[in-house]
Amino acid sequence: MTLSRSQKRGLVGASLLALVLILIGTIATYFGSKYQLRIVYGSYVSLMVVLALQVFMGNARITNLSHSAFMGIGAYAAAICVTPIAMKKISLPSAPWGLNAFALDPVTSGVIAIAITAIIALLIGLILVRLSGIGATIVSLAVLVIVHSLFLYRTDIFKGNQAFFGIPQVFTLTSAIIIAVIMVYVVRGFKESRWGIALRASADDEISAAAMGVNVHRLRLLAWVLSCVLLAVAGIAYSYYLGTISARPFYFNHVFLTLAMLILGGMRTVTGAVLGTFIISFGLEWVRWLETGPTILGQKFPEVLGLSGVVLGSVIVLIMALRPGGIMGDREIEDFILKNTE
Amino acid sequence: MLVVQNLNVFHGPIEAVHGISFTVKEGSCVSLLGPNGAGKTSTISAITGVAKSTGRIMFADEDISTLPVEIRIRKGIAVSPEGRRVFANLSVKENLRLGGAYNTANVDRLIAEWFETFPILAERRDQMAGTLSGGEQQMLAIARALMSEPRILLLDEPSLGLAPKIVTQIFEMIKRLKEKRMTILLVEQNATLALRLSDHAYLLNNGLIVADGTAETFGSNDALMAELTGLA
Repeated sequence: MTLSRSQKRGLVGASLLALVLILIGTIATYFGSKYQLRIVYGSYVSLMVVLALQVFMGNARITNLSHSAFMGIGAYAAAICVTPIAMKKISLPSAPWGLNAFALDPVTSGVIAIAITAIIALLIGLILVRLSGIGATIVSLAVLVIVHSLFLYRTDIFKGNQAFFGIPQVFTLTSAIIIAVIMVYVVRGFKESRWGIALRASADDEISAAAMGVNVHRLRLLAWVLSCVLLAVAGIAYSYYLGTISARPFYFNHVFLTLAMLILGGMRTVTGAVLGTFIISFGLEWVRWLETGPTILGQKFPEVLGLSGVVLGSVIVLIMALRPGGIMGDREIEDFILKNTE
Repeated sequence: MLVVQNLNVFHGPIEAVHGISFTVKEGSCVSLLGPNGAGKTSTISAITGVAKSTGRIMFADEDISTLPVEIRIRKGIAVSPEGRRVFANLSVKENLRLGGAYNTANVDRLIAEWFETFPILAERRDQMAGTLSGGEQQMLAIARALMSEPRILLLDEPSLGLAPKIVTQIFEMIKRLKEKRMTILLVEQNATLALRLSDHAYLLNNGLIVADGTAETFGSNDALMAELTGLA
């Protein structure tokens, strides 16, 4: 297989991003406190979500609001498969279909969770990809609400707002770094592939793309399912590290947070996804510290609860107003070091 | 090469073209002329398979009217759409690459050839196509269509919205294609220019063919020319 020039550039770009991810992760592993490790782990999971979001939103240019739901499906499916039977007899005493009577190893559970998410994504995708623009976005919002309601009210399976505990904590920060690095290659590879180019073309001009033989619906469905599979992986990474999940983290706040990350960095590029995730992940930690009313240079600041929400909202408003393409616009990381013409 | 019989084209419930028939012989250039809304672009869309139609479309002695778009492209039909419509957020090179999506073996060679023909496109190969000038976009749109090495090229209003000097350049390019025996179906509002290149022309109005003939018959018919050039 020969790579085109833009694919080679993509490989360089993905490798540069991979280096950055490995560097940040390694520094955190060796120098971070336990609390800081959790924050960094969280930012790598967010990164997986934002990368997954980029696959669909960045190439098909359709705003998706259901991504946290698919992350949740992946997380719960894996959790239900992997949690030991003794644990499930306590936490899910009345689970249907014998869900509390079996337990699988983490790898098999992960594969099953990904497969389940992919099947659900495929079924929803068949409807969603036929719509474009606002129609598709509203459907995705409805999916988010439906899935969340199921998580909340089927307490016999998902435990609702209570914690689903006892998931074996088999992941470390290193696992998250490896997965995030692989994802960067997958997502960039998709963008530069024949399908990625054709999908971006159809987002520019659906009719012209169709006249050139681009099957828009099929490509959107491909990107959608790939995106949801990556979201399932993010959900699995989340549950395998924390050991405890509940319905709340897979709802609006998370949708909004990850969307802000992608919009800030720039949804059209993979570099933008990485940049936006880290700026907001680490920036928000700093804002949370400000929220608590710290003393800076002898000056006591007042406690401002809810500051992080205001900041997040303001970031979206300002970016949309001043730089709708996000920080990166159309530039990928390698554009800063490689010449533009050969 | 292309024989269209009794073609009706629909946009949803609206019938835009009412049972037209025409022929494009191999190696010839045929124009569809007529005012806005005559059904020219609808006809092109029906041939590529983007618009719904009834009637027969024969291409190289084969009925293609029920085939999906991508099969028609594989069989050798390519279109340069109205209003240029390059993919604004893709680079020049990605635009070309997409044009050759069904011709992967020759893509790199063809791209290199086009960059030789139009050095300006080579210079801007990594630029977003949306940042090109109108004339450059039109060149790119035609080059993109030719990336699939088609047997027939459908050109939809290549002069639309371009400065006269640029229009002359574009028509020079079409003339060179014709000299290389490319079969061309040209849709134009600018009848004078189109007739200079065409072997045969059809005049469309309100979805019907109201006149047809060689460029000479059109040129010598003052009443027709007056209508075509909008001087009536």
